[in-house]
Amino acid sequence: MTKEQLIAKLKPIIEPYIQDEEAFKNLSEDTDFVKDLKINSANLVDIILDIEDEFDIRLENEDMEQMLNVKSAMGIVTSKLEN
Amino acid sequence: MVGNDIVDLAEARYASNWQRPRFLNKLFTESEQRYIQDAKNPFQMVWRLWSMKEASYKLYTQQYPRRFYDPKGFECTFQNNSGTVKFKGFQSYVETKETSNYIISEARLHIQKWSSKVVKFKTVDQQDQSEELKTRLLNYVGSAYQLQKSELDIPTLNNGKEQFHISLTHHGCYGAFAIG
Repeated sequence: MTKEQLIAKLKPIIEPYIQDEEAFKNLSEDTDFVKDLKINSANLVDIILDIEDEFDIRLENEDMEQMLNVKSAMGIVTSKLEN
Repeated sequence: MVGNDIVDLAEARYASNWQRPRFLNKLFTESEQRYIQDAKNPFQMVWRLWSMKEASYKLYTQQYPRRFYDPKGFECTFQNNSGTVKFKGFQSYVETKETSNYIISEARLHIQKWSSKVVKFKTVDQQDQSEELKTRLLNYVGSAYQLQKSELDIPTLNNGKEQFHISLTHHGCYGAFAIG
């Protein structure tokens, strides 16, 4: 999967939880879930669970720790899919 | 230093589903899951524990500035309205207040008097609410102070001479500020 394909798969997972439309329109690898998209921290776990379901993977505590931006989400999904 | 966190219960009911598979296990330790199982109102207990963890995380990041997401790492124990939350070697004292509309927790390094002031927002938009909360805080402390946020989003108040930590929280139609 290319980076673009991965971002395209992540976008609809993230969308239901965003509170800043403008930042979502400009979503890139550098987008931060909390600072940019204003996602409530209580909903980060929903994004994690949705990612697990979509890619059929499971995230450990260490993986969750970094789940604050698009780049780390991409990194975690990529590494899980390789294993 | 102070960390606080408010949960609007109507918002929590609407925006989250604590009963979805694996949700509890991702956020709560075994002993916390027992608190939830044994609670008369498990929904209320989930959000109570959550607000304790978040308040404690905000306090922790003032002492050790970095951002991370490890709610399960912050372990809560409590009796009545007072509890402790531990994260690795770090320990905080957390007071919690519950109403039928919201739950709010305030975390301190030492037991201290409650300081959070709750605001019910008149506005709906997140940006507007954030401004409303800031205005209420500055009205409270006086116009000599300016609100600053660090790179890591940690807020402080500054009047040119002294600087102190504060904590801001908002969720649904409630917000609160606490002065450290």
